[in-house]
Amino acid sequence: MGKRSGSKRKDKNKVILPPELPPEIDDDEVDLSDEDIAFYATDSSNVAPFRRFDKKSIDRYVGRVAGRDEGEVERLYEERQKRKATESSGKPREDDDGLEVDPVDALPTKTLQGELVYNRAKKARCEDNTGGVKSKAQENGADAKQSIKKDEPKGKSKNKKGDDNKVKNIQSQTEVPKGQPHSNVLEEVKAELSAEELFEKKKAQLAELGMAMLEDPESNIRSLNDMLSISNDKDQKVAKLGLLSLLAVFKDIIPSYRIRQLTEKELAVEVSKEVKKTRYYEYTLIRCYKAYLQKLVSLEKQPHFYTVAVGCMCALLDTAPHFNFRENLLASVVKNLSSSDDVVRKMCCEAIRSLFINEGKHRGEATIEAVRLIADHVKLNDCQLHPDSIDVFLSLRFDEDIGKDEAEEEKVKPKKNKRWQKNQEVPKQLPVNDKKKTRQELMSKAREEVDVDLRAVSFTLDPKERKRIQKETLSALFETYFRILKHSVTTSNSRTKVNNVSPGGSHPLLTPCLEGLGKFSHLIDVDFMGELISCLKKLSGYSDRQDEIPNDNALSVSERLQCCIVAFKVWRSNLEALNVDLQDFFVQLYNLILEYRPDRDHGEVLADALKTLLWEGKQQDMLRAAAFIKRLATLALSFGSAEAIAALVTLKHLLQKNSKCRNMLENDSGGGSLSCLVAKYNPEATDPYLSGALASVLWELSLLEKHYDISVSSMASNILSMANLNPTQNPVPILNVNPLEAYRDLSMERELLKPASKALPLNLKKKRRGKEFVALSPDVLQKADCSVDKDELEVKLQSHFAVLRGISENERLRAELNHTLSSVNTYKDYKKQKKKNMKFKTGRKKVARV
Amino acid sequence: MAKKLGKKARKFARKNLQSAAKRNRKIRNQFNHRRGPRRGGSAGREDGDEDVPQRVHDSTMVTNDEDATLIHGLEFPEDDAELDADLSDSDGYLSEDPGCPYYSDSEDEKADKDCIMEDGLDRQNDDMNRDIKKQKKKLKKLLDKDPEFANFLEKWQSGLESYRSKEVLDSDEDGMDSMDDDDDSNDGNSPNAKVLTSKTISEWCQLVSKDPKSPALRNLLNAFRDACQYGVHSDGPSMQRFQNARVFYQIITFVLSESDNVFRSLLEIQDDANKGKIMNLRNSKKWQTVDPLIKSYLRNSLDLLSQLTDNKILAFVLTRLRASVVLFSAYPSTSSRLVKILFRLWASGDQSLSLSAFLMIREVASLLPDCLDLCLTKSYNTYLASNKLVNDRNTKHIYFLIDCLVELYSLDVQKSYERAVTSVEQLNAILRQASKTKEKEDLRKIDNWQYINCVNLWVRFLCCHYKDYNLHPLFSEVLQVIRGVAHLFRGTRYLPLRLRLVQMLNELSSCSQMFYPIPSLLFDCLEFREVSQKEQTQRTKINFSSLLKVPKNLLKSRDFQEECVLSAIQVLSAHFAQWSYHVSFPEVATIPLFLLKKLHEQTTIEPLHRPIKRLIDQVIENKDFIERKREVVSFSPNDKASVDSFLQEEKVSRNTSFTRFYASVAENCQPKGRKTL
Repeated sequence: MGKRSGSKRKDKNKVILPPELPPEIDDDEVDLSDEDIAFYATDSSNVAPFRRFDKKSIDRYVGRVAGRDEGEVERLYEERQKRKATESSGKPREDDDGLEVDPVDALPTKTLQGELVYNRAKKARCEDNTGGVKSKAQENGADAKQSIKKDEPKGKSKNKKGDDNKVKNIQSQTEVPKGQPHSNVLEEVKAELSAEELFEKKKAQLAELGMAMLEDPESNIRSLNDMLSISNDKDQKVAKLGLLSLLAVFKDIIPSYRIRQLTEKELAVEVSKEVKKTRYYEYTLIRCYKAYLQKLVSLEKQPHFYTVAVGCMCALLDTAPHFNFRENLLASVVKNLSSSDDVVRKMCCEAIRSLFINEGKHRGEATIEAVRLIADHVKLNDCQLHPDSIDVFLSLRFDEDIGKDEAEEEKVKPKKNKRWQKNQEVPKQLPVNDKKKTRQELMSKAREEVDVDLRAVSFTLDPKERKRIQKETLSALFETYFRILKHSVTTSNSRTKVNNVSPGGSHPLLTPCLEGLGKFSHLIDVDFMGELISCLKKLSGYSDRQDEIPNDNALSVSERLQCCIVAFKVWRSNLEALNVDLQDFFVQLYNLILEYRPDRDHGEVLADALKTLLWEGKQQDMLRAAAFIKRLATLALSFGSAEAIAALVTLKHLLQKNSKCRNMLENDSGGGSLSCLVAKYNPEATDPYLSGALASVLWELSLLEKHYDISVSSMASNILSMANLNPTQNPVPILNVNPLEAYRDLSMERELLKPASKALPLNLKKKRRGKEFVALSPDVLQKADCSVDKDELEVKLQSHFAVLRGISENERLRAELNHTLSSVNTYKDYKKQKKKNMKFKTGRKKVARV
Repeated sequence: MAKKLGKKARKFARKNLQSAAKRNRKIRNQFNHRRGPRRGGSAGREDGDEDVPQRVHDSTMVTNDEDATLIHGLEFPEDDAELDADLSDSDGYLSEDPGCPYYSDSEDEKADKDCIMEDGLDRQNDDMNRDIKKQKKKLKKLLDKDPEFANFLEKWQSGLESYRSKEVLDSDEDGMDSMDDDDDSNDGNSPNAKVLTSKTISEWCQLVSKDPKSPALRNLLNAFRDACQYGVHSDGPSMQRFQNARVFYQIITFVLSESDNVFRSLLEIQDDANKGKIMNLRNSKKWQTVDPLIKSYLRNSLDLLSQLTDNKILAFVLTRLRASVVLFSAYPSTSSRLVKILFRLWASGDQSLSLSAFLMIREVASLLPDCLDLCLTKSYNTYLASNKLVNDRNTKHIYFLIDCLVELYSLDVQKSYERAVTSVEQLNAILRQASKTKEKEDLRKIDNWQYINCVNLWVRFLCCHYKDYNLHPLFSEVLQVIRGVAHLFRGTRYLPLRLRLVQMLNELSSCSQMFYPIPSLLFDCLEFREVSQKEQTQRTKINFSSLLKVPKNLLKSRDFQEECVLSAIQVLSAHFAQWSYHVSFPEVATIPLFLLKKLHEQTTIEPLHRPIKRLIDQVIENKDFIERKREVVSFSPNDKASVDSFLQEEKVSRNTSFTRFYASVAENCQPKGRKTL
């Protein structure tokens, strides 16, 4: 639907619903440049191609290159003319020519941005091989990629198939005149031909209908029915094409408002012709749309149509989240979020994400619906879904102050709102019906509707409404998260005993859930907090019974570390007001450090845990700090440099904060003067309080000073230098980053991205080595000097000689033999010649005689 | 071209050649000549006594160029100037002193018939002889029958002859015959076709041994020349010169074993003569007289080397020739040819042959400074080429090649360092590319033996020289490559590759005395994994020394797990052994010990229990030992000097139980893994 026709239609709508279009929107939406208008003026039938660029793309073009859109217009114009020419001249050709075009491509495809893409034109030109094709593809590329990607491969394969069939046909055609006597063959060929023809015919029909629809939707709205019937075709190919064409049409003609069911009263009222026409148009549109959706939903169950149907639904959801039947669309898309088909899942995720991000399109209503649907979906499937289905939540956005002072606002705002609403809406509403019969019911209903419509077009949200929606979304979101957590808690205990599945496999949703909790931790209601923390505690593997083996937990180390991180984040983001004992999480972290494996678990999570729990924390309990210090030092000895540096950064921080622990840097004979409970250090202790780490000495650092990585070794010496300082003094800071950053800096990925350092040229005195060997061992060298046995040598040399002689003899003899043989063979030639001579002679003699 | 011409021109000035025409012909001859030996060699191999590695090697040499893509530019560029570098003069028939007697031999002419020839070729020759006789008889009959035919035949033959000679001219004088003819006519003295008998040779030998200046030397060297070219041109006159195999043997052994001494006494130089001395000598009158003799000797020896196929004889020739390496310095073209031959032999699989070839290479590289660069490049490229295929059989050979390379690269560390840096930079670039794209093709460039063994080579090089030179920049580059590869190839399938990398890290760590957290790379090996319950009827032998990637079907097999854990134990104990005297050994061992205990508990593979337990016990024992020792010391961790001196006496005496344990572990795996050299 072009802008002009769109605005026209809106003008018409004004008759029924006067307050529908605020005047300022016209300016906003109809953002035509002068060239555009000029272009418009040139040809009134230019509407279709003009549709191709919408505001956004033009804006972008303008933003990029000034005056670019002029060229664009010209290009489009030319293209259109060209197309027209081919259309008019090549109409018959289109039916039987080998240069046949996929009907999907015959219809201009409207991309997400609303840009129309004439695949057909492109293809045709492709075959004409003009150089412009590429540039066009590039120009459209950015916007059109999505649609092209969706359509092209199919189109191509189909084209190919068509070509194949063509070839076959030609073959069979050539065969027929050859005089094949078998009638059945002929019949077969005929049947094939007719199927082919039928297909072509339908494609052409679709293309025509689609073009007509796009050119003038209002008068041709009835053809939607025809297209629908085509998409019911038995031929799957045709049906698919029909679906895609319909999608393209719908994407284009769906209005930017929601179509409302007319009340009986409204129906009863006599209306003008124009209004009737519009009503009819809307009625047909909505009916067909409904039928189309029903068709999609039913086709979705057929494996052959699965991808296409879901793709169509995603595209519709993306373009028209405000339109009728959104609920049905959402339900289907959400259901497919955890599809096992990668392509389908990606499409659905993208659709839902864009729904969350572009809330302006639907004012957040679709968001809450989607979140609720996902929540139900999770509930129904017992949390056994693909992680992607929860991952989309991370794209949600909430206002920062949503959780706060809602009571206050609620008191103030509603009044304001109402007054404002009344003031503005009542006068607008007046011309709707005959003013005398304004009933309260109708009034309120209409107002609501008006309200909705207003917002639909103005893209602004009533703050209160917005808040309400967000709150509901949030509660649905957390409901889902908590459900997953609870589920993980209950199953992790029962499940592990049954089978030892690979970590992460049994709780596919946990990781994205924890991620989400971490991200939205500041929005969690304080009431939930206690429960949440205890949940996390259980999940992180803590159990009251100390003797239980920590391995019993089915969660992976990364997941458990994440639990600790989330717990701390939640606690911290609520200003640490919560009175919960987080001690257990420290114990967990203390043990998890030992279970961490570099390749299996994510090092970043470990570094993040160190950062969240130890680095960011305030002063620690001394015993606990000492235990962590010792364990981190040990960790640094057994893991790569990235983990080591993260551990050392944390360790240093702990030492700085807990100056008493600096005693561990020194070897007082007798060790731990400060140790209380345990006199001897136990490296494998599970409880930091019972490890006796205070009694130990950080010998590790002396070895870490020899670490191959310069940053680790310098960090180690830096820490060691603390021993000579006062408790209040801190060493010269050398690495002012948190553990996570330190980890990232030294991780191998990062290191490999850094530019290669040039090795410095070696400057050394010319020190030529003597004759001694450096690498080869003497016993190997000895072997070389034992000379070959004389007799053996003689035998071998003689045999070598003999072989050589044999060969040369052989060669000589062969040559001689060949020579003799050929000499013998020449005898035949000789004979022949002789005979000839004889003949010649006798002949001459004869001649002479004659 | 101008440069080449200049080079040639200089050479000719030195060689006092008269005409450009002659030069041109000789280039061509040389060209032919180089092709000649090949032909001879391949012909020689037709009989059954070829050896497999030699053949394998030859095929790799031939396919060298095509497979260059596989080496993906790791090798050093080789300038292909050899062609004109190889330009040298004739194979130098020496004019003989007529005063030197030839003795006719009283021995039975047929004595050579009884020699070792009993192969098929001989029988074939006999058959052919018979055939010829038959056909000749037939021809004679025909001639008898029709005397006119004789005329016809003669005509035909003469026509054939002229056609043939034309063809020879057309085909760029491809035949060896034409060359010989040219040589003969130009040198003005036709090679002696007199038959050499055993007696003659012994007489000459005696003469030469008595007096090096004896004219018999010339005769002997001529005979040697004919012997070396024996079989190259089957219809040459030299074919008939040797009365029997014994004569051949006599000539070759005598000339090879004595000529070095003879030349040295002629030139009056000592054993320790170097290149400079030879160059000085070159202008002396003495040299002028001996020059053709030496030239003939060296060139013909090379011919012999390229003709021979038996490894033993080759090794013998090489050992003999090694004494005269310094003489090659006077003939650069000959020496580059020598280098080529040597590297071919070096890469061949036979151990003693490659060793003697290598010793010769080393001699060449150290005595002839011009050849050093060529040697370094050639050896590196040859090494890469022979790393294309690694299997159980040639792993040992490859280790040998690495050692040789390190040996060669130690001759001039400054020069080698530059090459090492270039090579490691290439490795690094490949690694970065792969880690950026993560594409299969790029990863394949790393996941192969050429890449890995190239890294291994530089690790060995570093280990040899880290102490004496400041090689730290190279060290950290190599370290980064190793870590990067380990990072890129994670997963169980690549465990053999990873273990290899860990071995290298151990080596680097022990040579540099730097700490590397080996355990961080070994967690995968020490992790308990499910073993397939399928009863394996056939135990598959998994040898990590010739594997980089484990085949998928073996991933869950017991043997793989077993090999994994055993190899991990081996490298881990090497790591522990290195730090077993360090004050923080207990902490080093903490986490690995934790893992080992867990593995010991969980593993279901019975044969693994004992080795794991043994390692655990040893580590604990050493840990207790260190803890006891450090309880009584008073220094703190920040006292570097004291930390370094901690337990130094024990370390020197190497008497703790862990050291002994490690020695036994290392010995156990020696037959499997690399030899500790």
